[in-house]
Amino acid sequence: MSAYSVNISVEAPVENQIQEITYDGQEIYTPPLTMSEHLTKLAQKIDFAKCGPEELNKEITEIDKNEDEAEQSTAPPLWPWDSVRNKLRNALTEVSVLADVLSIAKEKHYMVLDPVPQEPPELKPMVQVYARKKALAGAASVLLSGADRLKNLQAEALRNRTTPDFHIELLRLRQNFRLKKVSNSIVGDLSYRTAGSKFAQNGTFEVTKAEEDGDSPLSPPCSPNASLSNKPTSALRVTVPSELQGVAFIKVFFQKDQDSLTAAQLNLPSSSTANAIPDMYWQPKLEAAQNVLFCKELFNQLAKDAVQLQSPIPHIVVGNQIIASVLPGIQLVIGLCHSGVSTDGKTAVVPPSSNGHDHVLEHSLHQLLRELHHKNTHHPFPHPSSGPIGPSKRRRLAGPCAVDREELMQMTQSETMLEQVIKQAQHINLRDRTLFVLDRLAKDIKDPLITSHWNALNSPTQSCVKINIVAHMYDTICRTSLLIHVNETTLKCITRDGRVIHMSYESQELRDFIMCQVYLHQMTAVQNLAKCMGWQCLANSAQLGVGAVEPFGNASSCVLASPTGERLISVRCEPKSGVHVTIAQSPRKDFFPGQLVKERKWENLGGSFKEVRWDKMEGKNFLNKMELLMASLTSS
Amino acid sequence: MGVTILLSYPVPENKTGPQTAELLIKRIGALGAVQSGQFLVDCETFSSGPTMGGPPRTVHVLHNSEQPAAVFALLESPGPPPKTVPLVADGLFDLLMLKMSSIYASKKQTRMEARGTRFEIADFLVKIGTVTMSSNFKGVLVEVEYRPCFIAGNCWELMREFMQSFLGSVVQNTPPPYFQVHNRLNDVYQPLDTIQQYLDHFASYRKVAGL
Repeated sequence: MSAYSVNISVEAPVENQIQEITYDGQEIYTPPLTMSEHLTKLAQKIDFAKCGPEELNKEITEIDKNEDEAEQSTAPPLWPWDSVRNKLRNALTEVSVLADVLSIAKEKHYMVLDPVPQEPPELKPMVQVYARKKALAGAASVLLSGADRLKNLQAEALRNRTTPDFHIELLRLRQNFRLKKVSNSIVGDLSYRTAGSKFAQNGTFEVTKAEEDGDSPLSPPCSPNASLSNKPTSALRVTVPSELQGVAFIKVFFQKDQDSLTAAQLNLPSSSTANAIPDMYWQPKLEAAQNVLFCKELFNQLAKDAVQLQSPIPHIVVGNQIIASVLPGIQLVIGLCHSGVSTDGKTAVVPPSSNGHDHVLEHSLHQLLRELHHKNTHHPFPHPSSGPIGPSKRRRLAGPCAVDREELMQMTQSETMLEQVIKQAQHINLRDRTLFVLDRLAKDIKDPLITSHWNALNSPTQSCVKINIVAHMYDTICRTSLLIHVNETTLKCITRDGRVIHMSYESQELRDFIMCQVYLHQMTAVQNLAKCMGWQCLANSAQLGVGAVEPFGNASSCVLASPTGERLISVRCEPKSGVHVTIAQSPRKDFFPGQLVKERKWENLGGSFKEVRWDKMEGKNFLNKMELLMASLTSS
Repeated sequence: MGVTILLSYPVPENKTGPQTAELLIKRIGALGAVQSGQFLVDCETFSSGPTMGGPPRTVHVLHNSEQPAAVFALLESPGPPPKTVPLVADGLFDLLMLKMSSIYASKKQTRMEARGTRFEIADFLVKIGTVTMSSNFKGVLVEVEYRPCFIAGNCWELMREFMQSFLGSVVQNTPPPYFQVHNRLNDVYQPLDTIQQYLDHFASYRKVAGL
């Protein structure tokens, strides 16, 4: 027993009637009725005469009433069940009579029911005809009056075609939006709740009959040209909640790092086209309100994500803008522009970067929110259908496939909308940079031609480009191909010989890499050309360890010998300073027997290498020059 | 899922089970292992009642904390020929077994558990656990997994060398008996193989009376 319990006693109230109060205040109660007395009292209340069809019992009730009166006139009955007994006896009599009649009618053994022939009624044909004619006339008059009424309505509708009917308009409205009748007003819903949105803001609008315009009947007679009025009037007026009025859109653009955040405008101002006509036709008005709701939900979701996400540079939510950093130095700004109908009197201020907003990202944002809605309504269906709804197919298969803990963890991670948009923005940025670098290189480097083919089909977070390096007119001799995958913040380059190189978003890395590839191409091309010309490649090295250290990449070189062996060409390619070509002659021209080296035969050891003045050399490009050089050395 | 070898480490005479586990943990720590949580493998046995007819069949239901979403069930039917039917199912299978309590009765006394810590060294995953049967200590089990490989025959030598470095001569030079049948050395390794090794060891522990 706890200390807080209280004992409560329950008593029935005193029900017995007080018979007498004695002089000393004592109350004497009437003794309570015994069970039999109680039953008698209730039985007396039953009136057996009142149950049953009235026609049969009408006479019986009369008789009974007489009997009751007779009984009441005498002293109260000795036996309380007397009246009950009498009534039951009467009922028994009636029932037996009925039983007798039924047995006679059915069995026909000793007595039969015989109909009494009656005279047929007189037929008066003329009276019948007149009666029928009157009846038909009455029906015809009803139908005619109805038809007249319909004809009048239609004629009126034809005449007043310009003012459309409220109900027709309502029907058309109902085809597009969900309407409901609440007490005596019509209320509609323009939110995305049925599509899967969980946004809390209300999207109800009210539909009312538009008041009659005073001057509209006057204008047609005055100016027959203006029969088509500029403002389309409609029979119904739609009232949209104040926070959804006007036009809204989401604006996404990039901006370079700004020193102070106060430079960011708090209110991205409205466009000047929203001079709303109060009596605007309801369809665009409702669509605009729905768009406002969608944009609000989108911005709300993004703002929530921005606040919850942990990132190295935190996202900023200021007013109606979200600023997220995409790459160091570049920020993504997502803003909600909402122009209300209420006239502020302020003129619109043009924002500084009004022409740079990214339509693709805005469309992506819309798509992402729609995807969210879709996921809320469409749940993956389980097989067998008795399984739980909720887990995706992969999660359901995780059990029977004995999936690891790490994979299960990965399944639980999902990306928020803001993260996805940031990834897309990063990819767009990196793709633009890569494009710029490749185009610049193609413009700057004329000698081997660099062509880039971008894939037509890409994903929002990955693109691919194929780069070909060929020398003009020597594309059959040698062609270097590269494939670059552009991801969000990294580049992956795959060369023909199977090397995979991962680069970051710095464009200098890509530039250096392509330069190295260009010079490697030159070297390979020279060797292939030598094969074509009949020259022999004595030695080659792709990563040369002699000479000055290069700032990026390595020098490469090769030594070629002429078909007769008399001439040698040495080519050295340096990514920084270009190509150096030197030639040597095998029997030395400048051999003079000296003190140490006396015999003639030593002239065959070959002379020293002398550099060729490459800029003076004839030929359109490097390979052309090499070809001409080889040709001239072979012949002389 | 990499190749996993399960070894029973014999407890020396003068030491208790937990002390042996501590010793092994110290050795693996000295090699540079990083502790990364606990693990649990448990086995519950159900045997069929007389309503089924025929010789009684047993179902072993095992759980492995490495695959938390899965429940492994092995049905042993002794009828000629004796065969073992394995099943990998979702977590709801436990509830199904509960519903079938009238047909398959669980023997609570034979519930076996292997519990301990898991360590990660480079590509290896080492689990040192003590086996208990309804809170009676039964033995020490060491599980070594080599993550990159999933064919036992390709990495047996490497694993043997690694295991011998901290377990000593307990490790034989031939692959464990589980791998020597049915050409399992050249088959793709499945999580079910780990469970079957556990079941074999649990069965041998059950036979050892009282410890």
